[in-house]
Amino acid sequence: MSELKPRKDLLDIESLELAEIEYVLENAVPFKQLFQRSVKKVPTLRGKTVLNLFYEPSTRTSTSFEVAANRMSADVTNFTVSSSSVVKGESLLDTIETLQAMRSDYIVIRHQAAGVPGIVAKNTGASVINAGDGYHAHPTQALLDAMTLREVYPDYQGRKVVIVGDILHSRVARSTSTLLHKLGIEVAVLGPGSLVPEGRHDFMTRLRSWDEVFDWKPDAVYLLRVQMERQEGQFFPSIAEYHKMYGMNSERLVRMRELGAYLMHPGPVNRGVEITDEAMRYERSLISTQVENGIAVRMAVLHWLKPETDKD
Amino acid sequence: MGYVSRLFKNGRIATADSPDLRVADILVDECGVVSVIGVGLTAGEGVEVIDCTGCLLVPGMFDVHVHSREPGYEHKETLASCAAAALHGGVTGVVLMPDTSPPVDSGNLVKSAQDLVSEISPISMYQSGCLTKGRQGTELAGFSGMAARGVPMLTDADRSVPCPDLMRRCMEYAKDFDLLVTSHADTPALTKAGAINEGRVSYRFGLPGIPAISQEIAIDRDIRVAQHTGARLHLQQLSTARGLKSVQCAKEAGTSVTCEVSAHHLVLNELDIKDYNTHFKFNPPLRSLKDNEALVQGLIDGSIDLIASDHAPHTEFEKSSDFGSAPFGATGLETTVLVLFDRFINRGIFGWDLLIQRYSDAPRRLIGLKPVAIKEGAAAEFFVFDPAASTTISRDYLRTKSPVTPFMGETLSGAIRKTVVGGVLHE
Repeated sequence: MSELKPRKDLLDIESLELAEIEYVLENAVPFKQLFQRSVKKVPTLRGKTVLNLFYEPSTRTSTSFEVAANRMSADVTNFTVSSSSVVKGESLLDTIETLQAMRSDYIVIRHQAAGVPGIVAKNTGASVINAGDGYHAHPTQALLDAMTLREVYPDYQGRKVVIVGDILHSRVARSTSTLLHKLGIEVAVLGPGSLVPEGRHDFMTRLRSWDEVFDWKPDAVYLLRVQMERQEGQFFPSIAEYHKMYGMNSERLVRMRELGAYLMHPGPVNRGVEITDEAMRYERSLISTQVENGIAVRMAVLHWLKPETDKD
Repeated sequence: MGYVSRLFKNGRIATADSPDLRVADILVDECGVVSVIGVGLTAGEGVEVIDCTGCLLVPGMFDVHVHSREPGYEHKETLASCAAAALHGGVTGVVLMPDTSPPVDSGNLVKSAQDLVSEISPISMYQSGCLTKGRQGTELAGFSGMAARGVPMLTDADRSVPCPDLMRRCMEYAKDFDLLVTSHADTPALTKAGAINEGRVSYRFGLPGIPAISQEIAIDRDIRVAQHTGARLHLQQLSTARGLKSVQCAKEAGTSVTCEVSAHHLVLNELDIKDYNTHFKFNPPLRSLKDNEALVQGLIDGSIDLIASDHAPHTEFEKSSDFGSAPFGATGLETTVLVLFDRFINRGIFGWDLLIQRYSDAPRRLIGLKPVAIKEGAAAEFFVFDPAASTTISRDYLRTKSPVTPFMGETLSGAIRKTVVGGVLHE
């Protein structure tokens, strides 16, 4: 694990080297063990400041980052921009100026426009962590997914994961599939043709039905959230039809049990859409583990990145 | 202005007729007319001698797709800075797009645009007019008034006329005035909020894509409407191989259709877009390498009639926002000749004759002008090009107000030394 090049920002998965991924995932393990203790804090980032900058509503991710930063003993400021006063386009540079003046060491940013975290990163010495930008990337989600899979499958290489749902509009699908591929895990996708773009990816196998999925024998099934707010057009006829075609129901749970396959979801789930109540209680669901690992992975990311705030 | 006679010594003259270059001296008299072309000419008294040894003398280019931004968007570009950029790039005449503020959609507005040009511009600038009122795509603009003012073409400039029925009426009506209908072929319902060519690259960037079929379907529609109405159609900014094929088929069927391509669609593709660099955001977007190859082939075989830069200045600030929100377009007047020399002529892919045919002759013919050539008795309209030098594109190099170009920082072979229009020498 020696001689990693210092990295200032975490913007996507594509640009990460395998050694960096290993470094973060391995460091996340002791951070997670910390959660069993009565004192869950380490002093690593005492005196450092983390700015949580969310241009898109998100309770889960922003809270996860906040908890992670708190457990690292950093000071956290939450800066949520309501969607009504969306600051985008022209004023982005002005916003960065303002951020600079706040002298944060870490900026966690979620933005509806792809590429914005990169623009912020270029214009500040703070370490920028992309917490989701448009359809582009959500690297900490991918890292927590990988951590979760590695816990249940220490022999993860060569395992198979199928991602189900809206691939076209999903930054989670992009980042997680890329990371799993880098780790040597096979990835397939299931979803309607209107949401699973043809010929965009070099490594994802397209499956066309649950029968094909179960024949493929996945080790884990990763359900994506149906992003109702992102459906600017009609990509499928109705929620009911989506549920019937692609949702996880009791019938499909039987096949899951037969295979011993795990169930994952980035949250928050739409019950009755991509998953039934019964499937939520599936004994091999990793959904809560994902949430817990999210905090550990984010602590490991804060620990890993090297801000250049001294140079400002 | 006190005009002087000038003797351009030892240059090599480029023509549209042959890739061969002829070494000659050119005497331009004080009226700006090429009075003598010969070998071993000597300068009389008071004649300024310009040594052109090793350099080429090339007829001035003509660009039918230029956004001057004045009036209304002078923070991006003005007529003066646009003209300066043109001259700096070897371009001696342009057609101005009507997407100013207000949009040029009536005879009166054409008149005021022409008045503004005549006060300011050292080069010929022909003001085009809108197809629809305010470029809104709902009602016909004032065709007869604009025709009376001599507009070279009608176009909604970077906007397609979305309704096929209205496009049909535009063509039917334009035909009565023999006006050229120019279309920025695009299907808004497919393009939507797209920012980049739809495909692997758009997926990787997580940006909404503009599918190739958005332009291709619009090209097919406009060609079919032109065939139906018999109007003359010019298609702007071809970007895909399939779109070009449609144009080729239409030409074979005898349709009155012409088309243009930009330097960026010839030499850049989606894989050149790095790190969300908005200077590579165009409409139509940069497509694939295969499309580049097909377009270059089309330019050479003549199925693409002409080159047009789509000079579209924006401020650096406007372009500094995220890729999805940044405006489309970049400047092109100062880079087109250099890029085409660097990528094609200098590599032996085609000669100066082809560049002159496609970027000097054909664009002038498109709007009913005579091509310019360097010949005795003709007004001087050429530039001096040094093929052995090189040019680095930088903020300092550019004369446009907009420092936005995908070629920023590149060192291109060749250098434009001077541009001559009539009796005036522009350094």
